[in-house]
Amino acid sequence: MVLSQENSSNINASANLSAEELIAQNLVKPKSESFINFLKRSLFELSNLKFALTSFVVNSLRRRYRRSVLGFAWSLLNPLTTMVVMTTVFSLLFHNNPKEFGIYIFTGILPWSFLLDSITGGSLSLVDAEGFLKKVYIPKLFFPLVIVSTEAVNFIFSLSSLMFLALALGMHLSFSLLTLPLAIAILYAFNLGSALFLAISTVYFRDLTHITRQLLQAFFYLVPICYPLNVVPPKYLFLFKLNPFYYFINLFRIIICDGHFPQAKDWLIPSAIAVIVLFMGFSLLKKTESDIIFRL
Amino acid sequence: MISDKVYIEIENAWLKFRIYKNRSPALKEAILSRFKPKPDIAEITEFDALKNINLSLRGGDRVGLVGLNGAGKSTLLKMIVGIYPPKYGNVHVRGKLTPLIELGTGFDAELSGRENIFLNGALLGRSYKQMKSLEQEIIDFSELGEFIDLPIKYYSSGMHGRLAFSIGTIVDPEILIVDEIFATGDAHFVNKATNRMKALFTNSQIVMLVSHDTQKIVDLCNRVLVLHKGEVINDGNPKEMVDFYLKEIVA
Repeated sequence: MVLSQENSSNINASANLSAEELIAQNLVKPKSESFINFLKRSLFELSNLKFALTSFVVNSLRRRYRRSVLGFAWSLLNPLTTMVVMTTVFSLLFHNNPKEFGIYIFTGILPWSFLLDSITGGSLSLVDAEGFLKKVYIPKLFFPLVIVSTEAVNFIFSLSSLMFLALALGMHLSFSLLTLPLAIAILYAFNLGSALFLAISTVYFRDLTHITRQLLQAFFYLVPICYPLNVVPPKYLFLFKLNPFYYFINLFRIIICDGHFPQAKDWLIPSAIAVIVLFMGFSLLKKTESDIIFRL
Repeated sequence: MISDKVYIEIENAWLKFRIYKNRSPALKEAILSRFKPKPDIAEITEFDALKNINLSLRGGDRVGLVGLNGAGKSTLLKMIVGIYPPKYGNVHVRGKLTPLIELGTGFDAELSGRENIFLNGALLGRSYKQMKSLEQEIIDFSELGEFIDLPIKYYSSGMHGRLAFSIGTIVDPEILIVDEIFATGDAHFVNKATNRMKALFTNSQIVMLVSHDTQKIVDLCNRVLVLHKGEVINDGNPKEMVDFYLKEIVA
């Protein structure tokens, strides 16, 4: 009761001041937080929601195939159809051996779909979560994370199923496959960074989701997914190497298709890109975290 | 048992809502506005949803909030929960908090009642283990019986409400935040739910209750804040505050 009296007198004392005057009086300190502390806090908040994260991922996977007769098999069949069509068309076009070319295409298509679905889905994740964000407190990071993790699980399933198919087609098992989890982790980090960055930006500029879609569609043909890089005239090759997506697809190609261990630079370039994009995503989150809710 | 480890401290908190005529400007306009000498001020109107809120609550406090629609009652609760961060000032909350602001948030119509128990509990920050141990208790309390394994889109609104209420109120929190919770369902369930709410009120350290039912506020609270246009204009004994509110503001 004593406390409440203190309070009411406090209110009377400062009730007539404007917010700006209060700051001037140093009653109210603007919040400042280092980037590292921000990361720590974000991860701590998420660690309390581990179960929520897995439930969301499991449910969105379930919902995707609910009531369909083939269920999860669709996640295998979808890329398979694309692969068969592309292999037929492009091996006729480039006179390649369809078996080899089939493996080449699937190592391109699957990481590309993982990337595409994470980024297009992720870019709408915050806008779509308005209903949640205004009713319960959930860290903003949660929603892009759910999308990217869902796509990651999907990717791992379709990758392993198609791997069996590739073995039947005559792919050689190589020890380089052991490095696959690392490659997946790097692509995951890149996708999360991009999804986070675009999810926040889309809250501010809703047009961005359409722009992203158009750009990614164009990029599909700029990344050597459905054609071999050797059909590109050498003088234009640098253009392809400027494309950040190329390095992620390339990593999977080396590991699965060529069956080699990637060299240091094959690891470093995509990792560096992923770290930069993640950093961009988190910096933007730090800057806008307390404003996003007012823009939804 | 009153614990001094549970508290809510709000210091000089301001919350501003911005109303955008054009809530999210198209990219074109955003780029164009960079070249304009001054942005169109009329595009954005700001208003203070909460003005200079100071509040200090400790274990044992049962605080009721009264005020007209739009006075900022729910906004204040949402600021405490963390949904709306204050523009200026600080909000410190310590203790396990259960917000009963909107029941059934995150219900997925395609999923069964049982699956929704886990999903909803997860959103309230609970773990799988905890939900597993509460599962049966929730199902029993909601009296859904065999319907629990049916997708909730086939539920009647009463069944929906019973499930939501049962999940939200199954654990005794340290801090209870209630925004006009009315249990729905038949007379029997409403009766049971009222008892459950009473138990929650007794077992929580701090309770904050928003209600337009002033009698309920007087019965349940030991302190009442009167909110008007985003400001706490009076604070004190429930009976006096409710009289003040009814005479000075409602009338």
